[in-house]
Amino acid sequence: MFGHDFLSNYSAKLIEYALAVAYLVLFVGYWRYVQGGKRVEVPARKWVPQAEPVPVHAGALAPAGWFQVPADLWVHPGHTWARLESDGAVTVGLDDFGHKLIGPVGRVGLPAPGSSLAQGEIAVRLGAEGASVGLISPVEGTVTAVNGAVSSDPERFADAYGRGWLFQVRPPRLEANLKQLFAGEAARRWTEEEGQRLSARMSPDMGQVLQDGGVPIHGIARELEPARWADLVRDFFRS
Amino acid sequence: MAHVTAATAPSWFQDKILLGMSLRQYLRSLLTPLNGLAFAICAVGLPLIVYRFAAGLGATTNLSQTQPWGLWIGFDMMTGIALAAGGFTIGATVELFGLDEYHPIERPAILTGFLGYVLAVLGLICDLGRPWNMVQVMVRNGTASVLFEVAWCVMCYTSVLALEFAVPFFEWLGWKKAHGALKKALLALTVLSVMFSTMHQSALGSLYIIAPGKIHPLWYSPWIFVFFFITAIIAGISMVIFEGAISHITFHKLFQGHHVDFDKLSIGLAKAGALVTFAYFFLRLQGVADAHAWGEIKGFYGAWWLVEMLGFVLLPSLLYAYGARNRSVKAVRLAATLGVAGVVLNRLNISLVAYNWNQAQRYLPSWMEIWVSLTLVTLGVLSFRWIVNRMPVLRPMAGSGH
Repeated sequence: MFGHDFLSNYSAKLIEYALAVAYLVLFVGYWRYVQGGKRVEVPARKWVPQAEPVPVHAGALAPAGWFQVPADLWVHPGHTWARLESDGAVTVGLDDFGHKLIGPVGRVGLPAPGSSLAQGEIAVRLGAEGASVGLISPVEGTVTAVNGAVSSDPERFADAYGRGWLFQVRPPRLEANLKQLFAGEAARRWTEEEGQRLSARMSPDMGQVLQDGGVPIHGIARELEPARWADLVRDFFRS
Repeated sequence: MAHVTAATAPSWFQDKILLGMSLRQYLRSLLTPLNGLAFAICAVGLPLIVYRFAAGLGATTNLSQTQPWGLWIGFDMMTGIALAAGGFTIGATVELFGLDEYHPIERPAILTGFLGYVLAVLGLICDLGRPWNMVQVMVRNGTASVLFEVAWCVMCYTSVLALEFAVPFFEWLGWKKAHGALKKALLALTVLSVMFSTMHQSALGSLYIIAPGKIHPLWYSPWIFVFFFITAIIAGISMVIFEGAISHITFHKLFQGHHVDFDKLSIGLAKAGALVTFAYFFLRLQGVADAHAWGEIKGFYGAWWLVEMLGFVLLPSLLYAYGARNRSVKAVRLAATLGVAGVVLNRLNISLVAYNWNQAQRYLPSWMEIWVSLTLVTLGVLSFRWIVNRMPVLRPMAGSGH
């Protein structure tokens, strides 16, 4: 009556195989749909430093003052910032601390327009000296625009809060995302703490240094740990 | 020198049990409409349970020789256990697969699993009667029976869940040594929980393998134990999202200052939900092909089967997929609600609707069976609320390393 004999009915077997094949074929599309669109990296021109980096002096690493954080931005603990635009979009970039830590880069891999990003997901890849470091998206959303010019224009890239923005997203859950970010005084205080954390990593290696009142150079990580600079950057970028 | 007088320092009981209130304040805080409803349900339900043990199954249920399993098995046991699957699903996700971002929902999932099992056992005791005879399963070697496996799995897994839940419980009591020891054992406990759950969830399905003539061919399959296990995973994922959404509304004060992005976790779980339900949908179709039962799709049972398959398996799968892709928490929550309802429907279909479908006399539960089940669910909700309001389940204890 219920016929569970596996060899009794070829037509039933045919249906079973057809179902299995249909499932596998559909699963590929379903998986891709669920996981969202793929991202591609935008290749950038090799950038040649214009000036020799100035050696970093740990004694000059006083808290605050070194790193700028505009009051109208939201900052992610991975050192990316988010600015709310009047049209509902969110512009994303790398903060001043991040720029000074990583310094000049040779390659900026931006997300593809139309791709979906989750908050905390690696959105951008910065490449330099054969190493690659990820930048975390401070908010989630669909990428609506990318600043491809930063790949070929190092000066533009270095303009942390201006022309050096990286991409724009349209966030579906901005309010929930912003709860994870620092803003205003909290952002300034947190950046100070990050500065102190960086300072603590410098002191044991460098001992007493000049109190020259200067500002940190671009590329602190490479000065501090030439061999493992990318690991140092990843630690601060939380990627 | 500063003194803290006895009058200003709340006692342990006041602090831990009465939430820092005086007894009078605490009792007054309990006077809410929902508590009144819960009290009314329990005020009738608990005496009904006593009556069942005094007067027997015949006086309280509509069970018969043809239908020896009713609502208490079909709903309290079969459904309750499936909905408790979040404990091992999330436990494995965090402790075994290393997805630490799901850590904030591990404890609520374990608590739900623990309470689900305890209530399922209570429902089972109501059905079995003579609880003093339950010890027999430990001393008799009944290995030829699936029920033997079910009984051992229930006992073992409930014990493991109790130990897993003891981690936040000891943290709440401030028993640091016991808490530390159990926390170290959590990985081993999670391995045990996955093992016992896998065996138990599937064994509940195995109970029906011997009943091919009693279950409608659209629901019967020799692979029914696999279906039970997969639906348990669907139930676990759906229940964690569903219950988490309700918890975040009901216990929103407990989350203040703890920025756990539950929406993000829900969307992550939705990806898993979409893929598991999608696979399950096709496996069920295989079950129908294997049983040569396509012809049964016409008629009432066929239509009802389609309602389950399309409305409560395929639709939640598509909603999960849509929600995961478009980061729509609303779609994910709707999918989770349908997913939970779908597993409940599946268990009730197999144990009640499609069971004895070809008998002239059909079983309908008595009002007392329904009320007892309702009472057990109410007790579960009240226990969950009592615990999360006090113990570090939804949020860590202040100053703990949780």
